[in-house]
Amino acid sequence: MVSAKELVDDRPEENVFRVNRAAFTDAEIFECEMTDIYDHCWLYLGHESQIAAHGDYLATRMGRHPVFIIRGSDGEIGCFYDACSHRGSKLTGRTSGNAKTLVCRYHGWCFNAAGACTLVRGGEEAYRAEDLDRMGTDLRPIEQFSAYKGFLFGCLDTDAPPLDEFLGGARPFIDLMADQAPDGMEVLRGESRYIMEANWKLQTENSTDGYHVATVHRNFATTVGYRETLAPGGDDGMAKTEASRILSLEKINSGGYDVGNGHMINWADRGNPEAGPSWPQRADLQQKYDDGRVKWMLERGRTVTVFPNLLLNDVASSCIRIWRPVSVGVTEIETWCIAPKGEDAEARRARIRKYEDFFFPASLAVPDDVRAMEGAQTGSEALDDGWNDLALGHKTLVDGADEAAAELGVTPLNSNPGREVETPFFAFWREWAARLSS
Amino acid sequence: MGGAVIVMTTSAADIADFLYREAWCLDNKHWEDWLALYADDTVYWAPAMDGDEDWTDDPDNDVSLMYMDKAGLEARIFRIEGRDSYATDPLPHTAHLVSNVMMQGEADGLIWVSATWMVHSYMRVRGGSVRGGLYHYALRDTADGLRIVQKKIFIHDDRIVGPIDVYNV
Repeated sequence: MVSAKELVDDRPEENVFRVNRAAFTDAEIFECEMTDIYDHCWLYLGHESQIAAHGDYLATRMGRHPVFIIRGSDGEIGCFYDACSHRGSKLTGRTSGNAKTLVCRYHGWCFNAAGACTLVRGGEEAYRAEDLDRMGTDLRPIEQFSAYKGFLFGCLDTDAPPLDEFLGGARPFIDLMADQAPDGMEVLRGESRYIMEANWKLQTENSTDGYHVATVHRNFATTVGYRETLAPGGDDGMAKTEASRILSLEKINSGGYDVGNGHMINWADRGNPEAGPSWPQRADLQQKYDDGRVKWMLERGRTVTVFPNLLLNDVASSCIRIWRPVSVGVTEIETWCIAPKGEDAEARRARIRKYEDFFFPASLAVPDDVRAMEGAQTGSEALDDGWNDLALGHKTLVDGADEAAAELGVTPLNSNPGREVETPFFAFWREWAARLSS
Repeated sequence: MGGAVIVMTTSAADIADFLYREAWCLDNKHWEDWLALYADDTVYWAPAMDGDEDWTDDPDNDVSLMYMDKAGLEARIFRIEGRDSYATDPLPHTAHLVSNVMMQGEADGLIWVSATWMVHSYMRVRGGSVRGGLYHYALRDTADGLRIVQKKIFIHDDRIVGPIDVYNV
């Protein structure tokens, strides 16, 4: 088997950073990722607004492990392995639902929303007390569970550092989304899951890849631009899209950051920030935060890619995207629209329409991304020694903060002006290689 | 029309024929003819799933898979014909099966119709797929023939492989 570490050719002193394409295609590497990364890393599970009431649950998967998050009677959220303590049946019957008591459909054992076993069918007549003690009848919580500003994360490694430490330099950028609304953010109803026939890391790269925007999404920009000509005035105000920004790259400030722990930032000034759905909050935000922060919130589109498989995208609309590996060449992707609670009706409508324009498999953008990534997957099989040389923007990479980062008061590990750069990928691949044991 | 009594002359067979005509336009890629079947004030709506059994039902507060006016539909044709969308070039061969067409009532000058659909879609680079669901139509009988005032498409497939677009649902 090829060594995972050898797939990342990282020679900073020689200004070389390359990734061998076997990283996307080798099934044994994939097995290593499932254990070395997914069994040890903090992973995004859901947003607290999705399980607002006692008994609300979301069933999901951490790497290969089915788990669920559930709101207890005291309002606390717990995360448990999704398996009956009796003989391992999956407890949740739905992807999401409400169950103040989870009843195992196989043999009828019951559990409350805090994971405690409340009924062993047959009870003391069927079991010796010491047998039940030995089995342990309560549900097993995952090893670590924590929240950051409403975003819920779990980790299957007891020894992993706390969530705050893991998110590290990504936190100020997550805050830019989370702190936009006086009453907090909520995930909207309306789900989409789609399958990409490509490796999960292609989605990680794509999420922070500013270079593909002007090619893959040129069609998005021309299409919505054309649509605006059909309804003169009808797409003004908040409904106005930001298509022009995609087509006029040279006129805007943009950049990319490595903020540590594998997290990547890509940003670009918005073409018409007043069309952004959070623009009506501006006066309130200016009362609370300094000018630099408000500028970052409302005038800069941002992608925040959290290692290994989460994107918080706050550009024309606002999206949470999670991609879960299924096999080396198949990935399941899930997206949600996140919006300020109590948002003004016009802003909410505009946010939703722009979300539908871009983020769903029925949109004018995501299907093109998926095809591009599937093409990259197929093409990565072409050569036995194919390397992706991530040299784009390497010559403009600078250590520490640039002017824009300084406006936010943050110091990335490095900065790069222009969003058409590949250097933020170094962050991901270095973390990836460091976590793989072989 | 004033207070005149409207005598509906549209038969169930006319309605079914109209739905088949739409499917024919899509499967044969007659995009402009397809667009002409839609009223200027049309709403084209594919709600998203909300939990395991429900659909979103408030397009101003919930996310839909697609929620478009006629300009949105025209833009879809622009996207298809531009041959600049990686997902849309090559286009799949599609075969719409539209069935169980039933008139559900008439109100405010609209004829409400339900139907069931399955679409087989094939593109060489991806292979074949079959999706299915339900249609809810609101049709208006005009001097130029029936026009679609609302088309609501329930897409039953949740783990979606390949793009969803107006031509394959």
